[in-house]
Amino acid sequence: MLRYLVRRVLYAVPILIGVMLFTFFLFYMSATPAQMARRNISAKNPSHAQIERWITQHGYDKPLSKQFTIYISDLFRFRFGKSDTTNEDIVARLRSGLWPSTQLALLIFIGSLITDVFFAIYFAYYRGTYIDNWGRFVCVLMMSITYILYIIGGQYVFGKLLRLWPIAGYRWGAISWEFMLLPAVVGILSGYGGTVRLYRTFVLDEIGQDYVRTARAKGVSERSILFRHVLKNAAIPIITSVIYAIPFLITGNLLLESFFGIPGVGSVVFDAINSSDFATIRATTFMLTIVYILSAILTDCCYAWVDPRVRLE
Amino acid sequence: MSSPQFRRGQSVVASILLLILLGGCSNNPYPPGQTAKSVIYRTLPEAPRDLDPTKSYSEIEAYIIDNIYADYFKYDFLKRNPYRLDLNLGAEEPVVAPYPYTVRERGRIVNKVGQSWTFRIKHGLRFQDDPCFPGGKGREITAADFLYSFRRMANPDAAIACPIVNFVSDKILGYADYMQYCADRFSRKLPMDYACPVEGLQLDPKDPYTFRILLNQPYPQLRFLMAMHFTTPLAHEAIEKYGNLQTHPVGNSTYILASMEPHLRWVLKVNPNRPLEYYPTEGSPADIKAGLLQDAGKQLPLNNEIDIDCIRELVTDWNLFAQGYEDINSVTNTNFTTVATLQGTISPAMARKGMRLQKAYAADTRYFFFNMKDPVVGGYSPEKCKLRQAISCAMDSQGFIDLVNNGIGVRANYVVPPGIFGYDPSYQNPWAYNIPKAKKLLAEAGYPGGIDPKTGEQLTIYYDTGVFGASDRQIVEWTVKQFAAIGIKLVPRYWRDIVLQSKMDSGDYQFTWLGWIADYPDPENFMMLLYGPNLRPGPNYCGYENPEYDRLFERMRSLNDGPERLALIQQLRSIQEKDCPMVYVAHDVNLGLYQGWLHNTNPLPVEYDLAKYDRVDGPFRARMQAEWNRPNYWPILILVALIVLGSIPAARVVDSRKYRRIRRSQGSIH
Repeated sequence: MLRYLVRRVLYAVPILIGVMLFTFFLFYMSATPAQMARRNISAKNPSHAQIERWITQHGYDKPLSKQFTIYISDLFRFRFGKSDTTNEDIVARLRSGLWPSTQLALLIFIGSLITDVFFAIYFAYYRGTYIDNWGRFVCVLMMSITYILYIIGGQYVFGKLLRLWPIAGYRWGAISWEFMLLPAVVGILSGYGGTVRLYRTFVLDEIGQDYVRTARAKGVSERSILFRHVLKNAAIPIITSVIYAIPFLITGNLLLESFFGIPGVGSVVFDAINSSDFATIRATTFMLTIVYILSAILTDCCYAWVDPRVRLE
Repeated sequence: MSSPQFRRGQSVVASILLLILLGGCSNNPYPPGQTAKSVIYRTLPEAPRDLDPTKSYSEIEAYIIDNIYADYFKYDFLKRNPYRLDLNLGAEEPVVAPYPYTVRERGRIVNKVGQSWTFRIKHGLRFQDDPCFPGGKGREITAADFLYSFRRMANPDAAIACPIVNFVSDKILGYADYMQYCADRFSRKLPMDYACPVEGLQLDPKDPYTFRILLNQPYPQLRFLMAMHFTTPLAHEAIEKYGNLQTHPVGNSTYILASMEPHLRWVLKVNPNRPLEYYPTEGSPADIKAGLLQDAGKQLPLNNEIDIDCIRELVTDWNLFAQGYEDINSVTNTNFTTVATLQGTISPAMARKGMRLQKAYAADTRYFFFNMKDPVVGGYSPEKCKLRQAISCAMDSQGFIDLVNNGIGVRANYVVPPGIFGYDPSYQNPWAYNIPKAKKLLAEAGYPGGIDPKTGEQLTIYYDTGVFGASDRQIVEWTVKQFAAIGIKLVPRYWRDIVLQSKMDSGDYQFTWLGWIADYPDPENFMMLLYGPNLRPGPNYCGYENPEYDRLFERMRSLNDGPERLALIQQLRSIQEKDCPMVYVAHDVNLGLYQGWLHNTNPLPVEYDLAKYDRVDGPFRARMQAEWNRPNYWPILILVALIVLGSIPAARVVDSRKYRRIRRSQGSIH
């Protein structure tokens, strides 16, 4: 297993370099350093000297090969430098957003896992009844709704109509969880339709297996069958899909953080995109690539962990 | 499965979830009791990039730093049309006098006359308390601190590049040389030399409260610069300790930055060392009627704290205001139909909640313009002028305002907006919307019916534009329709903002549009858009060159407001009328929405430190917030009851299915 992990980590290096190469050239294709300078200097009409100085200070005057070498070596040492727009230290900025993002991601991750599995089993248990039929109908309906509508609708229903939680904002400390409830509920609900239908299928696949019939024949209670036998076996594809969804959880939070005023990593990316802050965009792309690669490795490990038939070689 | 057990488990899980989710049970984003205090709550649509007064140039940043840094002048809170400057840190009006100086031109010494401005500041002004000062106590402000700011503007470091340095670099004597000296030192990685003498920046050796600025030409706009935060006195101790003031302002005004959570929240509290200021005692009858003189003569500020939150989305921002958790909100296309009527008055629903809608000129001009170097639409021949005049006549300004600003705005006839000297409400642009006239002019320009006789085809003009949102697309469609009305085919070419900017800078476009917002309320700041030496990448994006215009502009720029200046403005207007390089469309009117518990609101487009005048009735606000936001549990309870009740028949179906199966299997045995 260790050899497998080492191999996978080594495979990740060319992937990372490839992504960074692509991002680097994409930057030069989308804007010249002079255009970037023009945008980021606060003057309405900056002088040529001001533009030149900005380019020099941000290192965009060096030959492309040298820029790329510096850029790659800095990224691999997690030296992201300063933001093109705000001149802030990018690492410090990402670090400051880490905890709010983690809070939100954790709540959505755990909340989704519990409720999605619960409803998947619930619908599977009542399969063939009107609960199952209506449940599936609601799932399809929820899959058809756009993410923005969940956010705006969530703010309207929970914040304005029911007036249960703050519509937006964030405060550090224990009270921060209060601000996370509404975005977390919205995050959970937005993924609910597709995930519950998928998990329900996993559960139903298992319910039809021979071992379930054998267990029933032996007089095992339906609850034990569902939770001890069916759930354990259905967990294999569930875990695979859950862990693989972690990067999407981070990228999906871009809008949530923006709409709910949460100062997380998502809002860093959102601000960077809005202000064409390429230094920050490159740093966050690099980080997200690492998260994607790690989650893929983790998925494989979990697969081997929950299914004894799988061996990592 | 044991169904009763399973159902019991379900109810336990449901109850726990319900308790967790309803735990907060309040949509109030502030700590309990805080909103009853004398605190102003407002939001910003994005986080400020930089709080350094030398660098900061955006409106968003000004809402924070202008409350922290005071200047020699400030704008009068009540007097408008035109906007008036009052002394702030200044003890007396600057004394302006001719200043003879010599300059070497082509090897010869030439005598010239510039201007000397003598400024005298108040005694006893202090910086805010900060660890950068000995003992943490803010020291007294002297004239040297003002000149320190002027020197700092010459810093070549892009991280603190001053956006208005070009306004003064060619006018203050010796300043251009000083900038070059600083740039040379910077390239050799040497620190800024603030001790280097600059001819045009002089301290009075006998009076530490007096300084002089020497200019190589008359420049009345210096008064306005002395009301901008770039010229605020700066404490060298703060810059020496913190490197720059990007996140650590050390100011001298009404408030201090008490706490900052970057990209989230900024809390300003009253500065114990603030200069003494009082609420104005003079106002117009309209001000009295609006209740703006109820606090006349009271010491400022009229509140203790300003809480500023970053809320990026308009929908969220509006929802917070509607709940009463924001005191101020702007009217946008998102909420216009909810808050205002088509006449621009407040909607009955908002009025019932005690809210107020206030209008203020935005001191801006929206205009379309031609590339004067373009072979089709540019040039100065009578035919080319007529082509541009025809296009101007095809543009329905009121239609533009109706479409883009819900009918709220002022039709623009010239570049100078209302509230600024030189604006003439009775002036009518001869090339205002008039389709028959447009068609006639087009025919005279050589394009009858919009047909180019050389090709026999419809005249095609390219419209270079960026599309950033739905309203931009509406503007494009509207413009295409206006051109089509006189038979010209307008082809939009869409660019990303930075690409469009570089196209404008290099003159690689044919026809486009812009909005120009006043840096300061002087006609010079608008009429310079056609001044030859400001040629792109300067603000003269048209590429307009007319020596007569430049000569008159230079004269107009050097005069104080008065009949002679007004006459020159009219002459300049006539010149551009003939050449028609721009099509003026609208002057915006900003609509602000205010909660009923906030008093003394009077928006001013060029001033951002108005929070000190705001008085808030905190207890009333807290009461209203509680009333408007009582939690509503009934829909949840009904939903839960429906789910539980709806599950019972299904549970019975499943149970009976199980028993049926057992009976059937028993039957098969026998």
